[in-house]
Amino acid sequence: MQCRSVLTRVDALRTGELQAEEKGAVHEHLRTCPTCDQSVGDVATLSDNIKGLLMSPPRSCRDTMADFYAQIDDVWVAFSDRGLHLIRRGSLEEFQAAHAARFCRTLKPGSLPDALRRQVDDALHGEGVRKPMVDWDDDLSPLEREVLDTLTQIPRGEVRTYEWLARQVGRPKAVRAVGSVCARNTVPFVVPCHRIVPSAGGVGHYAFGSALKREMLLREGVDVDALDTLAKNRVRFIGSRTTKIACFPTCRYARKIREENRVPFRASGEAVEKGFRPCLRCQPFAA
Amino acid sequence: MKNRWTGGTSAAFLETGEENLAVAVHRGDPGALERLIDRYEPALYGYAHGILQNTFDAQEVVQDAMLRTHRALTRQYDEARCTALALRPWLFKMVRNLCLNKRRSKTRALETPLESFDDGRLGPFVREHGSELERQQDAQLLRDAMAGLPVEARELIVLRFMEGMSYADIAKTVGATEASLRGKVFRSLKLLRDALEGKFAAGPAPLAGARRSLNPGGNDAV
Repeated sequence: MQCRSVLTRVDALRTGELQAEEKGAVHEHLRTCPTCDQSVGDVATLSDNIKGLLMSPPRSCRDTMADFYAQIDDVWVAFSDRGLHLIRRGSLEEFQAAHAARFCRTLKPGSLPDALRRQVDDALHGEGVRKPMVDWDDDLSPLEREVLDTLTQIPRGEVRTYEWLARQVGRPKAVRAVGSVCARNTVPFVVPCHRIVPSAGGVGHYAFGSALKREMLLREGVDVDALDTLAKNRVRFIGSRTTKIACFPTCRYARKIREENRVPFRASGEAVEKGFRPCLRCQPFAA
Repeated sequence: MKNRWTGGTSAAFLETGEENLAVAVHRGDPGALERLIDRYEPALYGYAHGILQNTFDAQEVVQDAMLRTHRALTRQYDEARCTALALRPWLFKMVRNLCLNKRRSKTRALETPLESFDDGRLGPFVREHGSELERQQDAQLLRDAMAGLPVEARELIVLRFMEGMSYADIAKTVGATEASLRGKVFRSLKLLRDALEGKFAAGPAPLAGARRSLNPGGNDAV
């Protein structure tokens, strides 16, 4: 073996990464060649010294990617310095697992800032939150962002349908997709995905069970029993005989219509046929 | 297609007895992310800093890599793939790609041919240390010398000597064969040695000099 071949192998020799055959040949050469033999020591010393140069980052990811959590009533809340991150009911273990699966952030106990605490409190007690302080995930799609923003605009005490939501975000056919976005809402209660119900009536599904969705809507002042009665009669819109305007049944203008002037509709076509136009506020169907 | 990140010696064999962090993160075990960060962040940061020579950029790259790792492990890879994943070279490769994106250029290859290096002794790189002061001085010298090396040489020295990676893992990380890596490490060592001797202390980067000597009539050949 020549010096060059040996010199390219002394480093691999040091860590025992050479094949037995090569190893023998290298050792044989080293016995007769002092400069190559010295090189073995050189590399070893360099290796020892260079390890000391290893530096650690001035600020660890552990600090820049830290979330904290706290408990309010029976819900767990994860938050960062930018806002709410995750709200879940259930055990702490389930909450931690949900957080780990969803976010690349570390999680430790902390105390919830007053502003955030008030928002969660209000949401849980049916007060509603006008401008939720949420630390939105960077990789939300534009559709997801828009759906979540639209949700926050549904007034407390009213409900809208999935169909309405799809229409509002400009994707009238994406009703299912919009439903999945609601289902994946990381900050329920505060961002009111519970205010979305099926077009066919009733309160529909909820991540924490239909019963809780009912309860939440009741706390916000929605007459859930009346919704059930309407669903049984398959009534979807309420119109006013005097103004010829049709609304969602929970729209605050629909609630003001006098009993004798109320006209129930089972479909938007029926309303249009009779010369009714959709309410500008709740936009129950496309004009 | 065979997945080159699976199998091999790295994942399953060297870390037997240790928890498989990729699977832990995939399953969402509490604290798995913290353990992943604690275990790999310093090494990845050292590597990124070795390539970029910039504290801020290196930190950003490492954080980005952590986000991507989490996304890949929890949303893209199934459990079987996480189990077979050679996590360490995979992470280093990701950091490497992110660093190269950041530099917006490919690594400059160590184009200097092997023949242009002599067959003499590789070292000495550092003195026999008498005092702590000498040791610190030499550490600073090493750091400065490394900063002046071409990226690829710096990268190999970081991976091989700072991280103590095996040639097999480096091959996976930078995408080369082990045989070619041996030659490249040899060249990197020679360049480091030259840098330490101050041969290029004030002059142009060693590669630029080498290139020029290869093409002496460069300016006339228009």
